[in-house]
Amino acid sequence: MGDDSECMSRLAKGDASAVRELYQRHGRALLRFSSAMCRSRQAAEDMVHDTFVALMREPMSFDPALGTVYGYLCGVLRYRVSRHFRQQRRWVELDTESDTSPMHPLDSRGPADEIALSEVTAAFRRAMLELPPQHREVIALCDLEELPYATVAGILDCPIGTVRSRLHRARALLTIRLASLELIDLQCEPPMAQRGTS
Amino acid sequence: MNDDLETRDPHPHTAQLLKQYARDLAQIAPSSDLDARIGTLVADRCQKIQNKPLAAGRPPLRLWRYAAAAGIAALAIGVGIFIGMKIEHTRELSVANPAASRDAAWPPADLAMWPTDSVSFKVPAEYSAQGILVAVDPDSKNTSTRYWIDVVVSNDGTFRIERIVPADTAPRNGGHDDVAPQVQ
Repeated sequence: MGDDSECMSRLAKGDASAVRELYQRHGRALLRFSSAMCRSRQAAEDMVHDTFVALMREPMSFDPALGTVYGYLCGVLRYRVSRHFRQQRRWVELDTESDTSPMHPLDSRGPADEIALSEVTAAFRRAMLELPPQHREVIALCDLEELPYATVAGILDCPIGTVRSRLHRARALLTIRLASLELIDLQCEPPMAQRGTS
Repeated sequence: MNDDLETRDPHPHTAQLLKQYARDLAQIAPSSDLDARIGTLVADRCQKIQNKPLAAGRPPLRLWRYAAAAGIAALAIGVGIFIGMKIEHTRELSVANPAASRDAAWPPADLAMWPTDSVSFKVPAEYSAQGILVAVDPDSKNTSTRYWIDVVVSNDGTFRIERIVPADTAPRNGGHDDVAPQVQ
């Protein structure tokens, strides 16, 4: 946190190399959040890039009293993603299958496990992307990034109670959607996901 | 929204899938393309900052344009004021001396079409047998009508015939050889 503040003060003085340090520190986490929100890898990386462009243009808009640098960057990224969604509504998607494919190669697990896991991950990702953006983002921040509610409230610019209630609805919607995709069985105990991971 | 509802954990199966998805997302690393774009972004910014001190010593181009526009505007205003003053001065003169302003349209006397130093002659003439107006011969016995030809000879060598009148209608100053020069 102290290093981030120092980087921001350097950036405010015109030291552009501070952006590179901030990117090395938070770029990966921002890309995770962006990937959970966007359908394509390219769009996710574009959003991260635009976030750092915005940071470089207006470094003075960061207020340390309102939160951390990472929270500020997440807020900028969230704004960029929501604007991206608004722009995407003007276009008709011709092929959504390619966008919902797994976004990354998995590590050195066995081929059978990798295939099984990839199928489950792809189906889960499809269910996530079908959630409304405001529900998707709260799951991405609270459950995937495991950020504190207070931090998420700062990023989403809403009270903590709103974060909690929105998270509850988002989880319920996601569970229903996963059940409809037969990824989980609400009656039986062993979930299908465990078959891929165990 | 009560606390029980707000703090409720997700469904166990959903939670398991969430953890699995989070693990998969954690393996995502920025591509080399994104790294390169960020590097380019930083390099461009550094380049701009380095170029900035070079331009700091001189005023920006926009300032030069403003200065040029202001100069042209001041010049146009000055010319307009000068022309206005000239017009006003001419108008004052014409009001003070209407005759001068009226005569100003005519050329001055020294630029008249004919010189002032000239001599006029009255030359007697009569028609010859060929029908040509010729000077009267004193020995001639011709009794045809005689004419007076008023000739003006200038001091620059030019001459002109002003008029030709019959001798019986024009006032006669003497005989046909009674030429009376008049200095104008």
